[in-house]
Amino acid sequence: MPEFTLTAAPPLAGYDRDFGAVTLKAPEHLAIVSIALPLGGEDAAKKAIKAAFGVNLPEVGRSDVAKDKSAALMRLSSDQAFALFPCETPDAERQIAAKLDGAAYTTDQSDVWCALEISGTGARAALERICMIDLHPDAFALNAIARTVMEHLGVIIARTGDNTYLLLSASSSAQSFLHALETSIENTQ
Amino acid sequence: MSQTNRIAKGLIDTSRTVDFTFNGRAMQGHAGDTLASALLANGQLLVGRSFKYHRPRGIFTAGSEEPNALVHLRDGARQEPNTRATVAELYDGLTATSQNHRGSLEHDLMAVTDLMSPFLSAGFYYKTFMWPRAFWEKLYEPAIRASAGLGRLSMEDDPDTYDKGYLHCDLLVIGAGPAGLSAALAGGRSGARVILADEDFRMGGRLNAETLAVDDMPGSAWTEAALAELRAMPNVRLMTRTTIYGAYDHGVYGALERVTDHLPDPGVKPRQVLWRIYSRRAVLAAGATERPIAFGNNDRPGIMLAGAVRTYVNRYGVTPGQTMAVFTNNDDGWRTAADLAAKGVDVRAIVDTRDRAAVCDVPGARHIRGAAVMDTVGRKALKSITLTDGQVIPCDALAVSGGWNPTVHLTCHQRGKPEWNEAIDAFVPGAHLPAGMVVAGAANGQLTLAAALDEGRKAANAQLKDLGFTPSRKPGPKAEDEPREGAPVWYVPESRKRAWLDLQNDVTVKDIKQAHRENFRSVEHMKRYTTLGMATDQGKTSNIPALAIMAKCTGKSIPETGTTIFRPPYTPVPIGALAGRARGRDFRPYRLTPSHEWAKANGATFVEVGNWLRAQWFVRPGEKGWRDSVDREALQTRQTVGICDVTTLGKIEIQGRDAAAFLNKVYANGFAKLPVGRIRYGIMLREDGICYDDGTTARMGENHFVMTTTTANAVLVFRRMEFARQCLWPDMDVHLISTTDGWAQFAVAGPKSRDLLRKVVDKEHDISNDAFPFMACGEVTVCGGTPARLFRISFSGELAFEVAVPARYGNDMMRVLMEAGREFDAVPYGTEALGVMRIEKGHAAGNELDGRTTAHNLGLGRMVSAAKDCIGKTLSQRPELQRDDAVKLVGFRPVDRSRNLIAGSHFISQGRDAVMANDEGWMSSVAWSPSLGHSIGLGFIRSGDARMGEVVRAVSPVHDTEMQVEITSPHFIDPQGERLRA
Repeated sequence: MPEFTLTAAPPLAGYDRDFGAVTLKAPEHLAIVSIALPLGGEDAAKKAIKAAFGVNLPEVGRSDVAKDKSAALMRLSSDQAFALFPCETPDAERQIAAKLDGAAYTTDQSDVWCALEISGTGARAALERICMIDLHPDAFALNAIARTVMEHLGVIIARTGDNTYLLLSASSSAQSFLHALETSIENTQ
Repeated sequence: MSQTNRIAKGLIDTSRTVDFTFNGRAMQGHAGDTLASALLANGQLLVGRSFKYHRPRGIFTAGSEEPNALVHLRDGARQEPNTRATVAELYDGLTATSQNHRGSLEHDLMAVTDLMSPFLSAGFYYKTFMWPRAFWEKLYEPAIRASAGLGRLSMEDDPDTYDKGYLHCDLLVIGAGPAGLSAALAGGRSGARVILADEDFRMGGRLNAETLAVDDMPGSAWTEAALAELRAMPNVRLMTRTTIYGAYDHGVYGALERVTDHLPDPGVKPRQVLWRIYSRRAVLAAGATERPIAFGNNDRPGIMLAGAVRTYVNRYGVTPGQTMAVFTNNDDGWRTAADLAAKGVDVRAIVDTRDRAAVCDVPGARHIRGAAVMDTVGRKALKSITLTDGQVIPCDALAVSGGWNPTVHLTCHQRGKPEWNEAIDAFVPGAHLPAGMVVAGAANGQLTLAAALDEGRKAANAQLKDLGFTPSRKPGPKAEDEPREGAPVWYVPESRKRAWLDLQNDVTVKDIKQAHRENFRSVEHMKRYTTLGMATDQGKTSNIPALAIMAKCTGKSIPETGTTIFRPPYTPVPIGALAGRARGRDFRPYRLTPSHEWAKANGATFVEVGNWLRAQWFVRPGEKGWRDSVDREALQTRQTVGICDVTTLGKIEIQGRDAAAFLNKVYANGFAKLPVGRIRYGIMLREDGICYDDGTTARMGENHFVMTTTTANAVLVFRRMEFARQCLWPDMDVHLISTTDGWAQFAVAGPKSRDLLRKVVDKEHDISNDAFPFMACGEVTVCGGTPARLFRISFSGELAFEVAVPARYGNDMMRVLMEAGREFDAVPYGTEALGVMRIEKGHAAGNELDGRTTAHNLGLGRMVSAAKDCIGKTLSQRPELQRDDAVKLVGFRPVDRSRNLIAGSHFISQGRDAVMANDEGWMSSVAWSPSLGHSIGLGFIRSGDARMGEVVRAVSPVHDTEMQVEITSPHFIDPQGERLRA
């Protein structure tokens, strides 16, 4: 037995609050691994991704769910994507690296980001207060993703349901990000 | 006081009585009233005093253009000065007080300034208060400020909250009058996403103020039907109480929504929301503003614009007086008389400047042709008017119409110039409009109802077609064009008394003429010299008449005279709304280090480092000041082991086949041959050769590096490298991603650091000096399998490591390190001790990399590799930057060791005067070294590296001190670097 053990304490662990028309919660054990496509090796990387997740790498600005629903892929730019999946242990990057078998570069992003899922009929009205991009269903379809800024904080926003959005922002400013969302929800309820 | 001037129901809800007070007097109005309409209903014509001369003033308009009726609304901390009574919605319990008077409103002691008006004409303060010069700041300005002004702030914190937000639409319709409603209907029916915004709390614009019919029903009823249709459309958003105050680039508009201003209890929700509206297209249907005619004493309470009188009569069921007169130069004024008469109000006379037949029949009213009002009587309320032919007509209110000005403001927000339209004697929008905007209705010079309705629909349809929508085939509403002819009469030259133009800033016709005489003739000069149009109403009712008068003085036409430039905001926007929710602690986001909670529980004092909050030091019992804590932390670290959270330093993962070659280009020194498992210190140059960041980069694998940057430059370095990768060398296989927040990183420094880490790092990892020497790096596991990264680097100069674990374990890792270090007397240290130790070691930091210093200055010139190219290399070789006598980074210590050095001091050679010409450099960092027992400093001095041992003067004119300092090596501690290699 080691002399010391470490306990994990992600910044928003366990947060789950019902505001009525809006629910805001921090998904538990969400692992995020970045996947970079090597220059000149894009086709091989895409092939490896298809083999690993059972779906094609989505287009830039879109996300997709793995065939077996075990993970989601977000395509952030022409040569970068995120894989998101539930994982309690701090070895998420190794799991994806093993799946891709050297066809792409990976880094562990799980602790870089904090995630908040906002859902409910009032979600869009709340986001209107901090999100400058157009979230109208015609403009931001299901599975759309975008990088934007909310309250000075860099954010990746993904539409994961009719009235559900997954938001990723820097973990060090998680408290400010949570405050921004809570304020927006309270101001629009 | 009862509602003596309430004459009809209008569009208000008379079944709901609303109690309010004005200057402490209890009054009643009805739901749907404004404060102005309720005051008029109660016969309260005198509502305020003017800015400069403290003249009694009343209500002049019925809208946001109001220059006169400014009041304090609410009381206590919520008291808001300069609220226009004409747009303040009445609510139960409203309290309003008049402003800008000493003593009561009726007996203002400052009214004496009116008697001094001959001395207070335009530009008086430029001429009068010239000497003695010193008196201006101490006496004149405070005295002038005390007597002038527009209301008082509560001087308490604003208790309300504000918010902001972002909206998107295909078609933004600005103004919900006839043209705007027509445009919104067209937009909504086509399926486009429409936002219809109006500053009023009741949409409809002039349709609510007139008796004109649309589709064979009263305009207000048609409005209700149109709004009902729009409300039922999911693609249409109706925004009442929302002013579009600015037109910005790319179809972006600023809007202020007043959410709770009309509620008795504003509650906790944001009072106002500042919206940024992204529109693909916009229809400006902002209507028109009526203008007055200037004549003698035309500012008395009871004199108001004719269109406003119709608003009060038809919408609010209120007459401003019991015996009325109308003064007009156009057909429109006649309708005021007709509407008043239809409601049974005694209209004594219609004075028309035109010598022509009656426009319509007004029972009981005399039609006086080709005449004008030249003077009035009644100090606190109008009693009579005197005409140019000498007739005196008793009346207690006068409606004045000088024609209408299209509200072109938003068309000018991107330097568009309005054009003169002779048909209506007014400026209309010019050809250069903000991108995506078209103008419709009265704002475009279509001053009649049928034309406005038609143009609103057509303008919207044209916009929709452009966007690819199919306009609805449904026919537009039917209405008639009312008579609108007029004559250009701006002022009554026969007037002997002061004829007022800008009622808010007390500017008269005479002031304009004086500005002309004194050669302030350009409209921009005239505006600033007379202050016309510079008040909170921005001259909405006064600008055009003033231009006309200046044009007459100069002999030019009005379009030749031109207009001043309209800028945002259209109407005042509270600073609170602009600030939004960014207040107090949430003024900007803050970042917490992974061990923040541990630090908070262990006596940390935090310091802001950019957005980060970092532990500055940890107070222990008995310590009397920060120096006690910092000295202890630094000393103990050098003696045993110290632990510091260094997560804030930027971490950038660099991957790719060309990662090493890429680093070789962005760092000044070589990285291509750095072996896997090793770290190298590097410096980066800007394109101009200045050194802008330093840090270490660890080669974790053949194609994988982890770079650290300074805390301050984490984003900048990332951005510049991303630019280099994407734009300079797109053919390189390089990928960057930040992991600053992903890894909690701790410096473990001091002679016992290895012993401590051996208890934490899992046994299978050998961290002995042989296996893991200075500048080694590697992936390890800690605490029984948790993945970690270990770096053998030292900022303190001691044997030191940095250990990184996934951030989720950061807080607990701090606990573990302290527990593991207990037997070694481990100490947590903050940024202050970190700074002390790096100065003792002579490491450059932000104070030294200040955007002016080169590698040559920093004593790192040899790091700019001669064997390869890098960003900034060429320009760093400029002769001026390579001079032998350039400033060099060296150490300093006081000759009198008991004295403390001062950062920012400048160095002067012995015997020379402390003047700029003799300045040889500056002290960039100082600290009290607990290891040495005296103050030490780092600084730059000319040829410093060749002047070891020389004593120079360190002069600080700011502190008015100087001392003798000795130039030393910057490495005060362990100059050979033996400790860090131990």
